[in-house]
Parts: sequence; structure tokens; C-alpha cells
Amino acid sequence: MNREHLRGLFSAKSARVDTNRGEEYYNSLFERCKKRVEELKRLEPVNGVDIMEVLEDEGVSRRDFLKWASAMTATLMLPASFTPLVAEAAEVMNRVPVIWLELQDCAGNTEALIRSDGPKVDELILDIISFEFNETLMTAAGHQAEEQLEDAMHHFKGKYLLFVEGAIPVGAGKEWCTIGASGETFEEHLHRVAKDAAAIVAVGTCATFGGVPAAAPNPTGAVGVMDIVKGKPIVNIPACPANPANMVGVILHYVLTGQIPELDSLLRPKFAFGYRIHDNCERRAHFDAGEFVEEWGDEGAQNNFCLYKVGCKGPMTFNNCSIIRYNESVNWPIGAGHGCIGCSEPDFWDKYAYERPMADANIKAPTGGVEKSVDEFGLGLLSAAAVGIGIHAAISAFAGKKDEGDE
Amino acid sequence: MKKSGYQRVKRMTLFMRLNHWVVAVCMVAAVITGLYIGHPYYQTLIAEPAVDKYVMAWNRWVHFMAAIIFDVSSIVIAYLYFFSRFEKPYKKLIPNGQNIKEFWEVFVNLITFNRVKRFDSSHEDSFHVVFFTVFHLMLAWMLLTGLQLYVHGLGSGMSSIGKWWPAMLHWATDWTVVVTGGSLMDVRVSHHLTMYYILIWIMFHIYYIVWRTIFWREGDISIVFGGYKFKKSKSSQGA
Repeated sequence: MNREHLRGLFSAKSARVDTNRGEEYYNSLFERCKKRVEELKRLEPVNGVDIMEVLEDEGVSRRDFLKWASAMTATLMLPASFTPLVAEAAEVMNRVPVIWLELQDCAGNTEALIRSDGPKVDELILDIISFEFNETLMTAAGHQAEEQLEDAMHHFKGKYLLFVEGAIPVGAGKEWCTIGASGETFEEHLHRVAKDAAAIVAVGTCATFGGVPAAAPNPTGAVGVMDIVKGKPIVNIPACPANPANMVGVILHYVLTGQIPELDSLLRPKFAFGYRIHDNCERRAHFDAGEFVEEWGDEGAQNNFCLYKVGCKGPMTFNNCSIIRYNESVNWPIGAGHGCIGCSEPDFWDKYAYERPMADANIKAPTGGVEKSVDEFGLGLLSAAAVGIGIHAAISAFAGKKDEGDE
Repeated sequence: MKKSGYQRVKRMTLFMRLNHWVVAVCMVAAVITGLYIGHPYYQTLIAEPAVDKYVMAWNRWVHFMAAIIFDVSSIVIAYLYFFSRFEKPYKKLIPNGQNIKEFWEVFVNLITFNRVKRFDSSHEDSFHVVFFTVFHLMLAWMLLTGLQLYVHGLGSGMSSIGKWWPAMLHWATDWTVVVTGGSLMDVRVSHHLTMYYILIWIMFHIYYIVWRTIFWREGDISIVFGGYKFKKSKSSQGA
């Protein structure tokens, strides 16, 4: 335990969200935001993309856009009076340069953004953000791509938002993960680009907590951004993949206020991670009733019963997918009949993602190596204790000495 | 009742005995309902509408009620460790020469099957007090991890008794997440595993009291019912 650990130990902030800070607070916030949006409006757009044109091309009406703006205002926990400001902020989002780095990952977060069938406002908004650099989406390659990165870093020094997708290998073999012609390791690459960023947004569970690459035995020593980058504001948007709505929320919040949103102890924005899946779950009534899916496809599954017994981790997972869902509210894992695997929590692959309730979860025996379920381990201990007591009792009966008494 | 040559020794007050049985009942209730919460091991009738059943909810209700009675009792016991007017158990926890010697002698007595007995068994001994303290520490751990799991359900920061309650629980128990391994699941696993340690403790506790009763022949088992055990008055055992 070093000082950092101790600090973390005693400064854990709760997920509590203060949704009403009083009229005075919101009035002054409104003025501040308005000033900032106007300042941004005076800036030249970094790219020539206009949100209203994009929306029109995709067949999204002004009315749909305003509906989206009011939903986003609610997501950010601002009063309804902020809706026009949020809409304006969305229109000036192309003034905020974004550099997107991709490290040890599957590109799932980028995929989640670009592969949605019939893109909705969230995805389109991300289209108009000024992506100065994104390995997956850009056309440039090799030295040309590196030049572009250099340009963007130089031109927007201290102003760009750095989005990071993927874990950073820092263990043995990290030199195998390099990027660019100069053979920079991921770690060096991240440090170099992070140095001049205004703030860093770690997108997806790999970038936040190491995610799947960091799962046991973590062969590359993968860690999240916050583990190695210090002294920069960091926002974590975990989940596998991160919800585009939450990414937009963070960017909008930044555009609107010039600050990163309020965070919990894991640096996750409270507006998105202040809720427990379980508490807003459409199957919660079945949990309370004790109605569980016993196996896939059974009577309970057909009746949308609770998925707790087939391993749903909604009761220990904080995220807003039970409220906003994915792909513009089309569906989400529990709606599709599979339990939550806790993909937005630290160590989810080892500790959450199994199709059994916690009591049947495999844990590492104290000796390491062999995995036993919690119950198997506990019953093993109980049996050992029972055998020990039995032996003591037997020897006592044969060889023990009873104290003298009045016989 | 009192045989000649035997002398009554008061070992537990009425309150201590009541507390013991309240804790015992809570323990059984918490284990039965806790196992259900960890892995619902019986099914509810599918034909019944959900509103009539509420099986998980009742299990959780019983679990929380047992837990809160437990918690209050633990706080009272912690107080009595230092301020009891009957016996102050903390005195037997101080690692001075006398206590270490007594601890060792009682342990020797146990592993020699009562062939060696070089201490006064009429009073509460250091070994037993340490043993009970281990139990109370495990209960305290259950209290802290349990309240941490409970406060997850109060994510809004509000409760029926006010905002101070979840705020206090976060303040008092958030560190359990860090020390168990960093995720909410680790707290849950630890809470579940500690139940097994407590069950082992209970097994040994019951065995040990019965064993003492049989081999010491001083009626140890009646302490928890009547409050007294019996000591031979003309024995050569040192006091």
C-alpha cells in the first residue's frame, strides 16, 4: 500500500447524484454556459461540417433534433430551461478538436459508433465532431498519418480532447505493441499525445480499467489510462462498448461548460454511472417475486423472468443502460434475454462475466492456481473443520480424561 | 440442585443470555436467507402472479432485519467489552504475561484432551475471550460489507429516513471495496465467504461447550440458559 492507495481508501466518493442544486446555481451556470457557447460560436469551425446539414441529409427533422436535445439535457441532469443551450452547444461541437487514439482493443467502441443501422442523432453528432486523428476512420496511413497527428497536436496544443480506446500494455512484452513507423510503444504514444491534451476521455472498459486484455493472467500487463497518466483531467466511460450517448454527453458537457462533468470515485461521470442497472431494470419485479430463469429457453425465459440465476450482475453494476439502452433506445442486453455481465465495472471479465450467480462464481484459492466456486471453497472449509472436530471428539472419547466428580 | 461440594459461579447476566439467543436466532435467519440471496435455491410457483409471491423481497427483508438486530447487538457488545459492570472482557485480551499463560494453558488443555489442566476453569478464560473476539470481528466485517452491498440500492442518495443514512454508509464502508480487491463483486464474495468462516466458528463453539461440559464436569452448557456453572469447592485447583 502506497500513499496513492491510502488516499483512494479514504476519499472514495459515493455515486450520489445531486439533481437539484437550487435556482441560484442553475442561473449562474446558465449564464456561464451561454457565454462559453457564444465564444465558441465566434471561433472558426475546425471542419466544415454543419450539423443541421448532416441531420437533414440523414432525414432527421429539426423537431427530432430538439427532442434529442431535451433528452440530452435530462441525461446531463440540467433543468429543462437548458434545452436551447444544449441544442446550440451541439451545433458548435465542431469547434472542439478531438484526437482519438486506439491502443490494445478490438475497435468495438468505434464500431459501436459507426456501425449503427440508421444512425441517430447521437451517432451523427459524433460525425460532426472534429476528429483530427482516428486510426480506424482516417484515410491517411503511415508517415502521412503521423504527420497529421503532429499537426493536430501542434495546432490545438492544450485545447484538444483526447479520446483513448483500448488498454495500455506495460508488462513484459509491451514492446510488441508498437504504433507508427518509429516503433513507439503504446505507452510512449499515449504519454506523448496526452501531454498537451485539455482532458482525456477513456472510452470503453479496456481504456478505463484494462478490460479484457487485463483479464487473468493479463499476459501483457494491460492497465487503464488512469493508471499511468497523471496530472490530467480524466473521464472514464466504461462499458463494452461504451454507450455513444454517454460519449456525446461528456463532449456536450465539455462544450457547454468548458469543464468535465462531475465524477464518481472511479472517474465515471455521475450523470451516466450514478444509477444501478438493477434499480431501473424492467425485470426487477420478477427478482423481488423470486421468479427466475432457471435455464436458457425455459418457461421463465419465455416469460421475461429475472436473469439473476443465470448470472445477471445488474445488482452490482452501475450504468445507465437500463434507462437509455443502446442504439437510440432500441434494446439492451437484459431486454434481449441475457443477464448483465457488469461490463462497466473494474475486472469485469474475471469477476462478473459468467452465467452463474455470485455464490457459484469461481474464485482463486489462496494458494493461487486452482479455481473453486465460493460455495465449493466454503463447503471444503466446513468439511475440514468437521473432520478436525470429529477427530478431536474421537480421541477425547478414547483417551481424554474426565475431571473427578461425585460419581 | 446444588450438590454438596459444588459452588455456583455466575457467568452470564440475564442480558448476556438474552443477547446470545437473539444473536443465535438472527444468525440462523441470516444464513438461511443469505444463501437464498446468493443463489436462490428453491423455485417459486410459476402459476402464481408475481404480486402474490414476493419471495426474494421477503428473503431480503428477513436478512436485513436479522442484520440490523445483529448490528445493534454488536455495538452493545462492543460497549460491554469495555464498560460492563459484570465482567470486562477486554481485560482478558491485553497480552500481558498472565493472559498469555492462561491462553496457552487452556489451549494445552484442549489439545491434551483434558489430561493436562492447570488453570481455574470456573471463570472466563483468556482463550475463550480471544475466541469470542474473533467472532465479533467477523461479525463487524459482515456488518461493514453487508451495509456496503445494501447501500448500492440507495444510488439516488436518498432513503426513507433521510440523506444522512446512505451518506454515512458510504463514509463508513466504501473502504471495504478497496481492501477486498477493488470491485463491488469482491465485497460480495468476501461477505459470502465470511459466512462460511462464521459457520466454522459456530461448529467449533457448540462442540467446545459440549466438550467442556462432558470433560470438565462443571455444567458449562447451563451457563447460557441459567447463567451459572458449578465449581468444586474443595478442589486443589489454583484460583
